[in-house]
Amino acid sequence: MAKVIVFMVASLVMSSVALASGGEGGTANPFAGDVGNAIWTLVIFFLVVIVLGKFAWGPILSALQKREDFITDSLASAKKDRTDAEARLAEYTTKLDEARAEATALVDEGRRDAEVLKKKIEEDAKTEADKMLDRAKREIGLATDTAIKDLYDLSGKLAVGIASKIIRKELDGQQHNRLIAESIDELTASQKN
Amino acid sequence: MTFSILASGNPLDHVIQHAIKTTPVDLESKWGLFGWVLAPEGEITILSDHITMIIVAGILLTLFLPMLVGKRRGSDEIGSMVPSGFANLLETICQYLRKEVAEPALQQHTDRFIKYIWSVFFFVLSMNLLGLLPIPAISALFGTHIGGAATGNIYTTATLSILTMMMMVLNGLRLGGMHYIAHFCPGPLWLAPLLVPVEIIGLCAKIFALSVRLFANMMAGHILLAVLVGFILSAWSSMGSTGGLIIAVPVVLASVAITMLELFVAFLQAYIFTFLTTLFIGMCVVFHHDDHDESHAAAH
Repeated sequence: MAKVIVFMVASLVMSSVALASGGEGGTANPFAGDVGNAIWTLVIFFLVVIVLGKFAWGPILSALQKREDFITDSLASAKKDRTDAEARLAEYTTKLDEARAEATALVDEGRRDAEVLKKKIEEDAKTEADKMLDRAKREIGLATDTAIKDLYDLSGKLAVGIASKIIRKELDGQQHNRLIAESIDELTASQKN
Repeated sequence: MTFSILASGNPLDHVIQHAIKTTPVDLESKWGLFGWVLAPEGEITILSDHITMIIVAGILLTLFLPMLVGKRRGSDEIGSMVPSGFANLLETICQYLRKEVAEPALQQHTDRFIKYIWSVFFFVLSMNLLGLLPIPAISALFGTHIGGAATGNIYTTATLSILTMMMMVLNGLRLGGMHYIAHFCPGPLWLAPLLVPVEIIGLCAKIFALSVRLFANMMAGHILLAVLVGFILSAWSSMGSTGGLIIAVPVVLASVAITMLELFVAFLQAYIFTFLTTLFIGMCVVFHHDDHDESHAAAH
């Protein structure tokens, strides 16, 4: 193994010496070449630049620029949409709050109106009932007065009639009782009428 | 690679460029040092293994990438924006480079330069990855030498780096104007004779480092692999077939590990090259006036 390593190192040194001296016979020149290489390089490179510039780099560059623009536009548009959406959300939230407040106000107003109406209806009904009661009382009083008056009139007439009958005839005890009964019957009959 | 390694004793032979067709020129006598830099061997390579790989990288990129980009989830508005299959990977890489690499450096100019930046990344990456394929070993069987890492060639990386420099200077002047020119003299005006050359040297150093970094990283990995495989040949010749086989076991394991590392380095170096290119261009076209104004105001 040691022999192999020594051999490898020796070969490397020998090769380096050979390179440094320009190789065997001094023919190998690492800078070999001339303007022919330069002309070929120039021609081929220009062709590469022209052909690739037109058919490869042009499409790639335009595709890259197009994609960049597309991504930029998409991001800008997404951002704008988001801002718009946020603004719209805020707007709708405000509107919703307003609508809710309005609805509550409406309900409250309705309730208040209903209360007022209820109270008014009650008061009206009470007033009407009172009126009816008063009228009924008045009518009853009137009827009572009329009845009493009628009773007084009838009693007077009866008394006058009884008195006149007593005066006109002499009455015995039985007749007297009969007269009284007749008078009472007449009074009852007149009351029924 | 093993076959080709066995055919030669120098591991560097299998990493450097091998010309297939060249044409002689004499640029050195016309332009001196500059001419020598352009053609050090007195010839211009018309076709080589590295050039082949540049062409293959170009063909693969231009053929497959446009096809793969078109894979979409659907044809409607949403589906056409969603990639599917391999297009996911491609778009992920592109988007990463655009958002994490380019945008911090280039800011408002990102989409102006992004096509160039994507091209640099995929071009360098494909050349790096193609360099990892064992094409040279296979082509050696047919007596040719094709394959290798094209980015392991200083002329290739230098060309790409010089393009970066041109992008820096031209766009600096076009978009920055006087701000860019003023940037060459960051101190008081009387220091300009000193500062301007220093800034220019700094610019060249950046570009030099950019090209050497990619070249050295790609070449180093391949040399390491070649050296490792070369151990087998050396052991075979010095210790016989038994020694060769014993050495082959750790060498193959180490080669696999190094290849994994190389795969990572291929992506890393493509990323670093792209990152630095972006950063350098950004330094030339993006100026922070506000910061300067504030610091001036604070100073007053």
